[in-house]
Amino acid sequence: MNDITLTINGKQVKGKAGNTVLEICQANSIDVPTLCHLDGLSDVGACRMCVVEIERERRPVPACTYPARDGLVVKTSTERLERYRRQILELIFTERNHFCMFCEQSGDCELQKLAYRYQMDNVRYPYTFPSLPVDSLSDYLVIDHNRCILCGRCIRVCSEIVASHTLDFGRRGWRTLVGADLEQPLGESSCVSCGACVQACPTGAIFNKINLYKGKTDECQQIKTVCPACGVGCELNALVKDNNLVRIEAPRLTEPRGPLCPIGRFELLYQTTPRVISPLVRGKQGELEECSLDRAVQVVAERLKETKDGFAGIISTRIPNEILSLFNKFISEVVGSGSIDTLDGESYRIISEGIKQFQNNGKGLGIECPIEEILKADCIIVVGADPESANPIVSTLVRRAVSQRKTKLIVIDPSRDVFPLWTDLWLKPRVGSEGVLLSGLTKVLIDKGLVVPEKTKAELVQSVGGYGIGEVVRTTGIEKDSLELIAEIYGQAECGVIIYGEELLKRHDASLVTAILNLANITGNQVGDKLRVISLKPRANSRGAWELGLAKGIKQDKPKALYLLLADELVGEELLSWLRRIDFLVVQASYHSPVTSMADVVLPSPIWAEREGKYVSMDGRVLESKQVLQLKDGLPQDREILIEISKKLGRELS
Amino acid sequence: MAKVKVATAWLDACAGCHMSFLDLDEALIGLANAIEITASPITDIKEFSPVDVGIIEGAVSNTHDEEVAKKLRDNCKILMVWGDCACFGGICTMRNLFSKEEILRRCYIETESTKDGKIPSLEDIPPLLEQVKPVNQVVKVDCYVPGCPPSSKAIHYALTELLEGRIPILPSEIMRFD
Repeated sequence: MNDITLTINGKQVKGKAGNTVLEICQANSIDVPTLCHLDGLSDVGACRMCVVEIERERRPVPACTYPARDGLVVKTSTERLERYRRQILELIFTERNHFCMFCEQSGDCELQKLAYRYQMDNVRYPYTFPSLPVDSLSDYLVIDHNRCILCGRCIRVCSEIVASHTLDFGRRGWRTLVGADLEQPLGESSCVSCGACVQACPTGAIFNKINLYKGKTDECQQIKTVCPACGVGCELNALVKDNNLVRIEAPRLTEPRGPLCPIGRFELLYQTTPRVISPLVRGKQGELEECSLDRAVQVVAERLKETKDGFAGIISTRIPNEILSLFNKFISEVVGSGSIDTLDGESYRIISEGIKQFQNNGKGLGIECPIEEILKADCIIVVGADPESANPIVSTLVRRAVSQRKTKLIVIDPSRDVFPLWTDLWLKPRVGSEGVLLSGLTKVLIDKGLVVPEKTKAELVQSVGGYGIGEVVRTTGIEKDSLELIAEIYGQAECGVIIYGEELLKRHDASLVTAILNLANITGNQVGDKLRVISLKPRANSRGAWELGLAKGIKQDKPKALYLLLADELVGEELLSWLRRIDFLVVQASYHSPVTSMADVVLPSPIWAEREGKYVSMDGRVLESKQVLQLKDGLPQDREILIEISKKLGRELS
Repeated sequence: MAKVKVATAWLDACAGCHMSFLDLDEALIGLANAIEITASPITDIKEFSPVDVGIIEGAVSNTHDEEVAKKLRDNCKILMVWGDCACFGGICTMRNLFSKEEILRRCYIETESTKDGKIPSLEDIPPLLEQVKPVNQVVKVDCYVPGCPPSSKAIHYALTELLEGRIPILPSEIMRFD
């Protein structure tokens, strides 16, 4: 783009054609007050705080929407502009309830800050005192329309960044209200509770209802860390006051990986489950009794000596690499059994077997593309996956692609359409027939010549599986027309991304993974040396643990004893019933749960915020998480416990 | 030099602004050398005589508030108001979301702890205005010290400026609305 030169406040400044006057001011550190502008969102000129004078314009114009041109002469601060800005503030204050003394946002409010800046010590206009509704029925959010200035930042972040399109303006003129869908209560609307609007709101109109009045931004320490919830690995900004988590914000809200989901933004704050604050050992009466760490460690060590090979280890993948490696060493060297798994290890074994069948001695999970590819896609196939519950930000990216790029979205799932508002085509193959469907699709793609010829030779035969189209239609229950339509959309796409996940992996069939990789390969859906395929990974460090080789699998069908390093993860019913069969169970966990109550020894463990270390995101980025909270009551880190047990066995662990 | 005469009043208010004034602590000693407080809730003198500076805390909520504001305005050269209620209407204006009748009925008849309540209607009780107003909608105001309450620092700044012969406008870093 071409450089342009403007004169702003008498100085020559440079910018690019296509910039707005505001963008050029900001790039050149020229202060222009704003209210409805938020970096990364489109500009609408709603508030008029950024008005500037431009030579040959008859009246002041908003800098945020005024396209800069070569030779413009701009003034950002004149007596008249300052007077107008103060007047605009006064009008905003009279429009609704902007009395600060009982507002949650007071101290963090952009409107209030501007009023201070313009020394607005009185208002010359009569107040209107409208009586507007407050919607406080959603789980996390409150919308108080009385505090709303109609800047539209919530609406723009909801559509442009989160692509939920829940919020919009309703009604007209001064009666305008921000509404969810067709003025549904937020809790009953299409709102995904991601809280981006809370962060975008400049006033106290949208706020998080549970963390009220816990602390202002200025009073908090801000620590950047990584979300422990799922494999996306979102960056979090944790606001901490007096060793309490006050709030979690997105440090880069408007970037592709910027927005957070309700788990990252809200649920992490609301842990009410009782913590394990003391080691417990099962006593003679069969009850769990509190004891010293030394005694608990002694009991575990003695049992280890007896059991040796029969002792297996399972670890959560919410835990960073450093502890994972240490645990791996502990089980293979100190315990000596090498019988180790992660809670999500089965998924890995299927994925990695599938990749191996596709490309032996390849680069394993490194064959998958970064999730940003979703934003570039013109066709997305979601097969046996539910991103909204597994990896909500993946779901956000899919919605963004569909709403901003007119990407075709195809869902393959026997039981439900996981993107009901967004799907172009939902294929319902009979349960268990996904493999046949994928083979059929491959065949149609070849028949229609929608493949890269040099990639469609010998290796294809395996995935086609020799099914005739008639057989595919009979087995899957999918019409030939639908198959052909999908083949055309995916085959002709410039950038087709396939996302698969838990539902597909539940079939325990690695050839499904191979078939998906093959599809991407023959259609040339490749970016660098990666294929446009994404497998959803359930935990923050699933990939880290898998690549460190912790998902080997438990060797014994029924180990004699088990060391479960659970940390702050909760386990499902299926694992519970398996754990019941184990004679001696050591559980190292942050929270009391059904698992700790069935354990023979319970050891404490920090939660995500109390530890630090490296995570590997689902698409292979190495992320550094920081310790946000100090451990209370002298609780040990996981490392210390593993080292202590090793010491009792006369082994050095480091 | 003769002391500057000051009268203060509170209208529909919580007294917080006057408390903030008393929170000036040792600075009060210095001020006492420069100003003389005549009528004020602090001196408990209720009749205004002519003064240099009148100070009002609180919003205008009933006919009595209106009368006090007008009387003080008539008796002072400079009228300063303290606090968000006097500057903007503040928390008192919450009742503006309802009609006067609704408010009185709710307060005197419908409150859960009230039995056989009735709305007081003695001549001596000043009737409520339809709407609660900031002071500048009733009389001319010369300077404003917002805050809920304004900090002692803000009050001190404003008084000192006045004593120096300037009409105070709080600097941004001292101004607070909460």
